[in-house]
Amino acid sequence: MASEDQLKGWMVRGLDGDAAAQNRLLTALAPMMRSFFARRLRGAGDDVEDLVQDTLIAIHTRRASYDRDRPFTAWAYAVARYKMIDHFRRQRQHVSFEGLEDILVAEGYQDAASAKMDVDGLLGEISPKQASAIRRTKIDGLSVAEAAEADGISEADVKVSVHRGLKALAARLKGK
Amino acid sequence: MRTEDLIQSLAAQTRPVSAHAVEQRLAIGLVAGGAVTLALVLATLGLRPDLPGAMMNAHFLMKAAYTIALAVVAVIAVAHVARPEATRMRAAWLVVVPVVVLGALAAIELATTPSEHWLPMWLGSSWRQCSMRVGVLSLPIFIGLLWSFRQLAPTNLRAAGATAGLAAGAFGATLYGLHCPEVSASFVVTWYSLGIAIPTAIGAIFGPQLLRW
Repeated sequence: MASEDQLKGWMVRGLDGDAAAQNRLLTALAPMMRSFFARRLRGAGDDVEDLVQDTLIAIHTRRASYDRDRPFTAWAYAVARYKMIDHFRRQRQHVSFEGLEDILVAEGYQDAASAKMDVDGLLGEISPKQASAIRRTKIDGLSVAEAAEADGISEADVKVSVHRGLKALAARLKGK
Repeated sequence: MRTEDLIQSLAAQTRPVSAHAVEQRLAIGLVAGGAVTLALVLATLGLRPDLPGAMMNAHFLMKAAYTIALAVVAVIAVAHVARPEATRMRAAWLVVVPVVVLGALAAIELATTPSEHWLPMWLGSSWRQCSMRVGVLSLPIFIGLLWSFRQLAPTNLRAAGATAGLAAGAFGATLYGLHCPEVSASFVVTWYSLGIAIPTAIGAIFGPQLLRW
């Protein structure tokens, strides 16, 4: 399974016009997106595949919005998360009471975004491996297996990194 | 369609993308929209007759500095919210700086003017038209920015709509300044700001519908 470095490498080469790299990138992203959506939409197989395709199209057609100086997986999952929120919002429109809940979702999302800046600052203080493991499992909501795949390390390594990272964070917060 | 086939057909159309694609795309939208707005100003309102000389005077420069400062902050914010992983922008509060500075100038202006002149100074000769004209003139620029967003990926659509509206309003107001002969700081800080607020509010309200992808 592709790591951040591999994915980013393909992405950057795709941005330079390399169709083969773009193909590898999208092919590698498809199963990542599939498990991302499958875990959040239990038992709705068609919806999952629709969302995977929608997300791949968006990742391809809106790749101009990717900044080469920033992590690639965070960008790709941000696109996926948007597609998921959009999906839930559309579904809710069929079931009536959209207004209030729409606002709640949007608000919650904003809060999450602003909290993320503080989290980014904190995670910058611990080792990159631990930070990445925590970010993937606790913030992006990936499973341990997905995080292991994305970082190219073992599942046990992810679990240990999360545990040690959280301990280090707690120690830092107490020290502050 | 099978996902594998989709990937093949997407990858087959892989064109190079510049490292500054976001900035370029926004610049094209702004310039194209701005050209339409400028044409509207020239065709329907006309430049102020004293323009070449007026460009050197302090009132004209104050007005231009105000709207350009707002436009710069707004465009930086637009470039920020155009990326999907954008976090809340702490620098967005900078947008109040030009308003506060001009507000202070307006206060100084009022303090140094006899109170019977306050009302004519504040209302000028065009307060009824000013805000609405700025609002209308910002529309082509707003549409230009909507076009820019089509290859970008805003995820907070309300913020994206509002910042695009603010940028369009501030640019539209700058171009309207080529026509508008008003000179007082209190006029500009009230009626120009109100005009800029119109597209900003429209963007915030309709952003979620207009910018969905």
